[in-house]
Amino acid sequence: MSNPLFSDRHVDFLLREVLDLPGLLALPAFVEHSEETCAMYMDACRKVARQVLLPSYGPVDAAAPGLEAGGQVRLHRDMHEAHRTLVELGVLTAARPEAVGGTGLPMLATAASHAYLMAGNLAAYALEGLTTGAARLIESFGDDDLRARFMRKMYDGEWTGTMALTEPQAGSSLSDVATKATPAADGTFRISGTKVFISGGAHDVAENIIHLTLARIEGAPAGIKGVSLFAVPAKREVNGKLVDNDVLCSSVFHKVGWRGLPSVQLSFGDRGECHGWLVGAPHQGIKYMFQMMNEARLMVGLNAVASASVAFHAAIAYAQDRPQGRPLTAKDPTTPQIPIIEHADVRRMLLRQKAIVEGGLALLLECARLTDLSEHHPDPAERKAAFLLLDLLTPIAKTFPAEYGFEANTLAIQIHGGYGYTSEYPVEAWWRDQKLNTIHEGTSGIQGLDLLGRKMVAEGGAGLRDLAGRVTATLAKASQAGLPATLTEPLSAALQAWLQASATLGAKGATGDVDGMLRHSADYMSLASVTVVGWMWLRQAVAATNATDRDLAQGVDAAARYWMATEATKAPALAARIASGEDSYAALDPAWL
Amino acid sequence: MKILVTVKRVTDYERKVKIKPDGSGFETEGMNFVPNPFDEIAVEEALRLTKEHGGDVVVVSIGPNDATQQIRQALAMGAQRGILVQAGELDSDAVARVLQKLVEKENPDLVLMGKQATDDDANQAGQLLAGYLGWPQATFASKTEGLESAEEKAQKPGVKVADGWASVAREADGGIETIKVQLPAVITTDLRLNHPRFASLPGIMKAKKKPIEEIPVASLGVDITPKVRVLKYEEPPARLAGVKVADVDELVNKLKNEAKVI
Repeated sequence: MSNPLFSDRHVDFLLREVLDLPGLLALPAFVEHSEETCAMYMDACRKVARQVLLPSYGPVDAAAPGLEAGGQVRLHRDMHEAHRTLVELGVLTAARPEAVGGTGLPMLATAASHAYLMAGNLAAYALEGLTTGAARLIESFGDDDLRARFMRKMYDGEWTGTMALTEPQAGSSLSDVATKATPAADGTFRISGTKVFISGGAHDVAENIIHLTLARIEGAPAGIKGVSLFAVPAKREVNGKLVDNDVLCSSVFHKVGWRGLPSVQLSFGDRGECHGWLVGAPHQGIKYMFQMMNEARLMVGLNAVASASVAFHAAIAYAQDRPQGRPLTAKDPTTPQIPIIEHADVRRMLLRQKAIVEGGLALLLECARLTDLSEHHPDPAERKAAFLLLDLLTPIAKTFPAEYGFEANTLAIQIHGGYGYTSEYPVEAWWRDQKLNTIHEGTSGIQGLDLLGRKMVAEGGAGLRDLAGRVTATLAKASQAGLPATLTEPLSAALQAWLQASATLGAKGATGDVDGMLRHSADYMSLASVTVVGWMWLRQAVAATNATDRDLAQGVDAAARYWMATEATKAPALAARIASGEDSYAALDPAWL
Repeated sequence: MKILVTVKRVTDYERKVKIKPDGSGFETEGMNFVPNPFDEIAVEEALRLTKEHGGDVVVVSIGPNDATQQIRQALAMGAQRGILVQAGELDSDAVARVLQKLVEKENPDLVLMGKQATDDDANQAGQLLAGYLGWPQATFASKTEGLESAEEKAQKPGVKVADGWASVAREADGGIETIKVQLPAVITTDLRLNHPRFASLPGIMKAKKKPIEEIPVASLGVDITPKVRVLKYEEPPARLAGVKVADVDELVNKLKNEAKVI
């Protein structure tokens, strides 16, 4: 069944009317680009997503690769074709500057276009996304030699890349990384250790894989301050030929979702012949990685939106097509059955998905816009403000679509009824995929701690103050546009609740009760999420008052009202719970469970 | 060899077209426009042929100024330059007459066109153009039987050019027939001929610098008086719900007396 993946008219509305892509394109950094180039790239991505990626999704999901003799992992034929197509399309360097062979497209236009590719086949896109991320680490922190040795071929799509962080004993806790790096006479290092859950860590779509690996140089201080970043190729060049670099894929994980992209266990240096190249300065690995991690987290958020969106559109089509039951008031059993979309509860589930998917997309694209502004605005003060706000929004933009998106995917299955619980329809597969997004690149728990313990208090709460000012400005615009109090009051109250909870918890932290403060991070994340997404919906509602497309405008209005009435109104209760200090879980003895 | 390819700006088939309440046309607000998919196949075939034989691909569109976007898309696929004839809505005959003028000016070895446009499905312009030029035509160029993938089709193309002749596998009733036409000729393309490439981002950036010549239709001195008048647009009737019949007799009865097809 054909699936649009996203609503084109909604995406175009976000870009033009809500997030002002034309204004962004007026910045000097984007002089080479125009709305036309952005629109053409968008069209190309939509086509590739619908015609090449989506048809490959089912076959790729059904045939997850396993480990073959000699550590070989062979990907599905369609993954090879997708890789060729995506490289040719230019996804690897779309948003990279011309200096490294890129096109310098605004992140806003890039993210909106790439969202379709993720929705079409997330495993195929991830291989490219990981490669760009890994190459970027070398671009940012490596020297010319490393750029020539590795980055160039990665950006050209000849080689792929991975992020090799996690070890069996060091998942969320990167300070416990134990992989060793021993200096060698030739200036490189010999790497030894084991990494797990390395996505794209072994495959046959490219001749080489560059693992951006965290390891500890012999004699380095314990903890985070002793971790360095290395580029470790699967094969290294010797006299112009690629030879085995002693990186062995020792197992392939059997995953619930993301089955097209193998996640593997890698053994480095079993024979003592694994060469690694230090990226940047020693002991700076975590700092470097964190810079990339924020971007990776936004990518996970966008992926979560995409997996929820493709399922949402499948649910709309199914609900319009599937006849079942009659109106509650119809008594005559011989009348034809009506499509299930006529039933109020099915419509409720569809509107909830729309509010989550399109609210989440607005948030992720706002983050993309802030990325552009933080890097390219000519005024340093504007760059700084955009950076602080982006920093605050990132953990929310990673967590909200993953947590709420999982619920949206559940609703898509629910609408498909019994069929949705079978593999006959793809909704169960997107639901399996979605679950990973609350786990990888920092679990939801880690994001809560990051939001409350780092981002909220950064620079004396400057990001939060700026955000409050922007929300207040949107509230004023909404009143001027004549939008009803049912849209503005819940958001206004939610914002106050968030500020109040921030003050309460900030005071706890300031008086040394850091544990007491951070125990409330999950509620705090929920409070921030319903408020920020409420802000996204109000901004859309304001923009929609000028929209000539009536269906679009009414859809935005319905979703905005739904969000304010059902979700934004939760904020004061969350703030009250935080203020009450209720944290019985903290005192829990495992024996009571 | 020089190939002229036509690209029409049409409504996006992914979006629902809404007819204006008075039936005078369709709503353009919020509508997305794309290159006619049949024309993209013509562009792909032209690029394949010039890659094999050398030469240039010139893309022509007739339409509003916004149609430069569809020309740009063909340039992003790899065509060398574009021509926009600025005009309002023309019927197929006027289109053929305008193209005749351009062909006389450009002197191509081959004109490649989509067999029809997905908006009006007229399927006339190519045949009329060949008639006006007095050139041979091969319509509905397609693939050789049994070829499915892009690679297979590239190895055994439906259109082959050699020694001033083109051999064209074309869709005919009951199968594929292969005919030979002497160049210059007009060839129109059907859906199965090839898999058009996507406009890549590097291609899009290159296309920005490729020239597009703009020609007001009035300057061509062509009679574009419509021969076809549009009276009204209306939606096709909604499909009625199906019915279950009890037995064969009832089915035959309904086919005979209600549907009146037997």
